[in-house]
Amino acid sequence: MANYAEMWKDLGMDLASHDALCQVLPTAFGDVYLSQENRPQGMGFWDLVVADIHGIRPSELIEEQKKGRKVFGTFCVYVPDEVIIAADGIVTGLCGGSQFWVPDGEKVLPKSTCPLIKASVGARLGRTCPFFRIADLYVGETTCDGKKKAWEILGGDVPMHIMDMPQMKRPQDMRKWTDEIREFAMVVEKVTGNAITPEKLNGAIHIINEKRRALARVYETRKAKAIPISGKDALLVMQIAFFDDPVRCAQMANKLADELEQRVKDGVSVFPAGTKRILVTGTPMAIPNWKLHHIIETSGAAVVCEETCTGTRYFEHFVDETKTTLDEQYEAIAQRYMNIHCACFTPNTERVDDILRLAKGYQVDGVIDVNLKFCCLYDTEGYTVEKALKEAGIPVLGIETDYTDADAEQLRTRIEAFVEMLG
Amino acid sequence: MEEDRINYYILFEDYTQGLLMQELLRGEQIKSRIAPTPHAIQGSLGCGMSLLIQPEDLAAVKRCIACKKPEYYDIVPLPCQIQPNRNQFC
Repeated sequence: MANYAEMWKDLGMDLASHDALCQVLPTAFGDVYLSQENRPQGMGFWDLVVADIHGIRPSELIEEQKKGRKVFGTFCVYVPDEVIIAADGIVTGLCGGSQFWVPDGEKVLPKSTCPLIKASVGARLGRTCPFFRIADLYVGETTCDGKKKAWEILGGDVPMHIMDMPQMKRPQDMRKWTDEIREFAMVVEKVTGNAITPEKLNGAIHIINEKRRALARVYETRKAKAIPISGKDALLVMQIAFFDDPVRCAQMANKLADELEQRVKDGVSVFPAGTKRILVTGTPMAIPNWKLHHIIETSGAAVVCEETCTGTRYFEHFVDETKTTLDEQYEAIAQRYMNIHCACFTPNTERVDDILRLAKGYQVDGVIDVNLKFCCLYDTEGYTVEKALKEAGIPVLGIETDYTDADAEQLRTRIEAFVEMLG
Repeated sequence: MEEDRINYYILFEDYTQGLLMQELLRGEQIKSRIAPTPHAIQGSLGCGMSLLIQPEDLAAVKRCIACKKPEYYDIVPLPCQIQPNRNQFC
């Protein structure tokens, strides 16, 4: 019999507070996910993961730790999983997507910090998430000021390594990021006790590329006129991808893609014909942040693509698998990751190019540019993004929100009006 | 879904029991959906996975269980908790 309560206790979790979280998750998941009709059968895997989200995967991680493997907790799509896997380490995402964790974060952070950072810090300090208890080393990065300061606070409670992200994409920045990855590899080798060889790194690069290919296959089906999967379900696949074993993730995503491709051939859609197609762009949606997608998809529209870190930024572009020395491989990894276009870079015109390309490729009727409250980078870049979209004749709605329920009705009113305006 | 509708949840002691049960039901063309076990009916059960069954499928589920004897913990009725317009998130 599964006895996760004992495991959570051993992890030093606050069981009473955690129990309160366990009460709200099934209700929210039911409202958002189980209310959908005609979902792909393959989504059963992700439903199972969520049903026991603090049980199944955490217990797998603990079993691997007993064998001597180390778990690395990451917060950003710029941290190269390949390096960790090459040293037989395990990666788990740690971004917090629940309002439940925000108050614990606000005990040490200003209220005017973005909810993702507050929730992430709160999940650790409040001892209410097993993943935050299990990770042997947290890997932070300098993608924004809020995170940089949050790492200093978290670093007082858990071992941390920080990767210093360049802010521009000049040749010297590429060299700097390559050096940063090389240094990270040394840290990973020290923590795991395993040497990274070119052969092991190449194997790891292949594993992560396969995962990217599988997720890209799922996304590709969303370009079809008959939309075979809801945006909510696609978002869930992406959110879980940060936590799952990468080989299993690829297997399950490929299995789902098989089903979706068949649905496309058969013209099966989960939305009525003529439903307006939306591209969501902006800040990431860490699990269990399903709020905006749910509101959009219960307001007469369908989300067909996400240009976010929990969307295309996570899987587009591959690492070159032909390199044979560690130096070449680290450079190839750096090149792939510097192809992610986060608002932390200046200039960041490639992101606008990406949005216009995706809007065309996914045949969208409109774009919703979402910004997590207090994320000044994406908020500011919203001006450039929305200007470019308007110039291209693509309707756009800018939205700022957080993890609370307070603005849900207001958002629904604005989104319904936007969808109506699309014709 | 209507609020006065009754849903049935099959509860398990671990998720492997649940996956086997779903496989079995699928083989008999009986609809079921994996769902997080609502807190109100989970009690001290460790497993958070359940199978959500609609009332019209309950008799077929019971016949299948009687015939194939898969392992499970209980089948529990619960007024439908699913409200897509509730606007309450995590």
